[in-house]
Amino acid sequence: MKSLRKLCLHAVLLLSMSVIALSSRAQSDPTGESAVTRTYALTNATVITKPGTELKETTVVIKDGLIVRVGKNVPIPAEAQVIDASKLYVYAAFIDGMSNTGAKRPENPERPQNLFTPDPPNEYAGITPENSVIAQLDVTNSSIGSLREAGFAISHAVPYGRMLPGSTALILLNDAEHPDEIILKKDVALFAQWIGAPGAYPGNILGMMAKWRNLYRNAEQDKKHFELYAENPAGLPRPENDRVSQAFFPVIAKQKPVMFNVDGVLDARRAMRLQKDLGFPLMVAGVEQAWELTNEIKSSNTPLFLSLDVPDEPKDAKEDDKSAEMKALEARRMEFYKIHVSQAAKLSEAGIPFGFSVGNVRANAVLKNVRTYIENGLSEDAALAALTTNPASIFGISNIAGTVEQGKLANLLVSTAPIFSKDAQVKLMFVDGDKFEYETKESKGNGRNTNNNAATSNDPLAGSWSYTLETPQGDQGGKMVISRENGAYSGYLTSDDGSPDNTMNNISYRNNELAFDFTIDAGGQSVEIVVVGTINGKTYDATATVSFGGQDFSMNLTATKDEQ
Amino acid sequence: MKTKNILVSLLLLVGFTAWGQQVPKGDVLFKGGTVLTVTNGTLENTDVLVRDGKIARIGKGLRAPNGVETIDITGKYLMPGIIDAHSHIAGSAINEGTSQVTSEVSMEDVVDPYDVSIYRALAGGVTSIHLMHGSANVIGGQNETMKLRWGLTDPDQLRFEGAPRTIKFALGENPTRGGRARGIQPQSRMGVENMLRTSFQQAVEYKKKWEAYRADKNPRKVAPEYDLRLQTLVDILNGDVLVHCHSYRADEIYMLLKVFSDFGIPKITFQHANEAYKVAPELAAFGASASVFADWWAYKLEVYYSTAYNAAILTENGVLTSINSDSGELIRHLFHEAAKTQKYGDLSDDEALALITLNPAKQLGIDNRVGSIEVGKDADIAIFEGHPLSVYAIPQMTFVDGVKYFDKANDKADQRIYVDPESSIEKITIFDREDQHRCMEGANFINFEDLFSNQK
Repeated sequence: MKSLRKLCLHAVLLLSMSVIALSSRAQSDPTGESAVTRTYALTNATVITKPGTELKETTVVIKDGLIVRVGKNVPIPAEAQVIDASKLYVYAAFIDGMSNTGAKRPENPERPQNLFTPDPPNEYAGITPENSVIAQLDVTNSSIGSLREAGFAISHAVPYGRMLPGSTALILLNDAEHPDEIILKKDVALFAQWIGAPGAYPGNILGMMAKWRNLYRNAEQDKKHFELYAENPAGLPRPENDRVSQAFFPVIAKQKPVMFNVDGVLDARRAMRLQKDLGFPLMVAGVEQAWELTNEIKSSNTPLFLSLDVPDEPKDAKEDDKSAEMKALEARRMEFYKIHVSQAAKLSEAGIPFGFSVGNVRANAVLKNVRTYIENGLSEDAALAALTTNPASIFGISNIAGTVEQGKLANLLVSTAPIFSKDAQVKLMFVDGDKFEYETKESKGNGRNTNNNAATSNDPLAGSWSYTLETPQGDQGGKMVISRENGAYSGYLTSDDGSPDNTMNNISYRNNELAFDFTIDAGGQSVEIVVVGTINGKTYDATATVSFGGQDFSMNLTATKDEQ
Repeated sequence: MKTKNILVSLLLLVGFTAWGQQVPKGDVLFKGGTVLTVTNGTLENTDVLVRDGKIARIGKGLRAPNGVETIDITGKYLMPGIIDAHSHIAGSAINEGTSQVTSEVSMEDVVDPYDVSIYRALAGGVTSIHLMHGSANVIGGQNETMKLRWGLTDPDQLRFEGAPRTIKFALGENPTRGGRARGIQPQSRMGVENMLRTSFQQAVEYKKKWEAYRADKNPRKVAPEYDLRLQTLVDILNGDVLVHCHSYRADEIYMLLKVFSDFGIPKITFQHANEAYKVAPELAAFGASASVFADWWAYKLEVYYSTAYNAAILTENGVLTSINSDSGELIRHLFHEAAKTQKYGDLSDDEALALITLNPAKQLGIDNRVGSIEVGKDADIAIFEGHPLSVYAIPQMTFVDGVKYFDKANDKADQRIYVDPESSIEKITIFDREDQHRCMEGANFINFEDLFSNQK
């Protein structure tokens, strides 16, 4: 009788608590998808509170979106969902320095009729610094979920566009109904890149450099004019409310930096050259060749985000009787591959507190690419810093993010093994206190899946497919051959016209969506093609996208599975 | 291993000099060569001492100071480094062709130090180039005068420090073709003149506006709109920017002389200027100069009325003349191009050599620094086997500021300073020529394919 009453009491308590938890989140939840509680305790975990500091058998308590306790023998609130983390590793979730995550690419502005190419409308020229990525945010965008699955809780979201697309924002990578819910900080930077207007001024880097100088000098003058007018308008011409010019005012006042998306070293130098001439605060992101810039970056204290777009390791030709010249050319190519993949280590050695930018890299390749930098000399602590504390400090959010410490946002990455080890898989993510759980695969060699062939025959993907790619030059066909080993897919594309096979990279398959990319050689330039589509039984309907000069070109790719 | 060493030393060099904006300067003694001074005739069996990147002494029996390398050039020729007054190598972009007046853009923003054409030019004895904006627009962009310091990767380190600003103009078919393609002005030669005059008139108004603003004593004055395009035109009117104008026909050359007279612009160099010989006295009277091809013509309609005697006729008429390349290939044998004026026009050795050294230096406003072998000038020097005006001439070494950037005796097969790790290695296959030329079929010679293929 007594025990029954006790049980009832518990039930009532539990019920009321979950009601409270629910009501604090949303007015109602007809879907029933809301969490029962927003209090969690990860017990007995290995907690890497910040780069270089590891606590064993430690409990982390999360409540209402914040980390409330980190330690041994900490009290666990009664309402907490307790997660046994004794075999798990807890990190501060990663912070991405620059990508279009969460943003929906707007339609390219249409070419106006009778366009006067020397002086196109700002919209067409891509000069819209008054805009913000916030207007492009789409909470249903799948990029949010896929970057979260790669270990990130915060992304520095930049708008799509051309030369001056608008302001950026830091967003939280969680599920929301309205974009405002995921905005952590807006107007973080004014975003700029070297993308000219198609067939109009400024068309290329020459015009863009000059346009920048002209815009900036005029904005400086306009700002002075506004200030004079605000002081006392009497006898002064009324200043024009030029939205482009006004977007530069906080930059001129050094309250807001310019983030330049650069690729190669010359792009970066050109941004830095403008900075020197004009004096605005600068950040560079997407940097792919940083090794020659260490001195300049260091002495100018320019915040830098290294691109996670790591080049593919070059493959030497397999012929046995290669000429000495061919061997020498291959050796030089490999030499520069090594320089590319060891640049993160070089930045770290130079004492530059750089971060990483995801850019256009597919989310499921991110960790692999960080590991490549680690294999080539970057310490794990420095890699973690580049993904957590450094970007937090660059964006001025160290007090709320970047480490596993009491009082900070509950942005946590929980993995099955030390995160930079090959077997590590993300098991849980906490973003702003919301929990996301992922299926993890059993590690290798545990006796399961010993019969790979059997697994293959039942596998929806593994096997040979006949594909057709509809290119502007006509249809191209071939075989798409996919195999599965130890739970991982690999594959290649053959070509009916006799071109060399292309390896399928970054194959991901979940919920019937198959995505991969491959690289083709177009006249000495390597071009990456990203294929995303749906498997429906024995057919695959996909879109193949090539990015070129800031524009996407899409083609249809269809495939049907061959009879085994 | 060897290439690795070179790379390391290259990186060291770059790392050492990158941030201080200091460019390397060399010390060297050239011993016993034939010195082609250009300004002071030919000096047989003469030594040239270079200290800290400058020519310190010229004479016989000079001794190398402690630690200074001596290079024996007995039997070889030493000449001033060749200067190409018209080049488009080492630029990431050449034309901002979307507008017909783009005086605000500048090639100094787009220098590409990784372009291997720089090394190839050095291998032709070239030490300086005039990296020009293209000719798609009437008033193109500002150009960049550069020194070919191959291996340095900071674009600023390839600048010819202190060289005057220059700008590209263009007349005739190229800018009107652009205009017609875009449906904008100018679409005819008349439109070109009109656009020039209108632009300069706007610049005059702009200048007045700013002068009035500057003279205004009111502390609450409001600045007029800033316009980098018009400001650059004002700088031209003030004589601060030298104009180099792409042109072919005599009538349009004469037109520009009149425009410049009307606006009081004192200096002009006509680039290409295939018909300049028709108005040579007029050019001389104006003080205008010309930078021409030795014998390129007929590649479009406006270039038909040409002659290989152009450079000689201009020179004989007292027009300051140079010979340029406008090409990443021709730049490697400008000395041959200069020599053609001896066949077509009987120019003297000094006159012919001046066409590719002192004269372009004068046209670029850098003749106080380069263009001849004189004490105090920069040690930008080319060493030749054979007289440079001989068809047998072979460049041996090239120095900029006394630093050796090319040495035929140590010429690595792969000179690139950056290799894209994702690039594919081209297999060089040369088509089978035997089906076209069968007269030597079966003869056992080393064939063309074996010579140039990198496949076994």
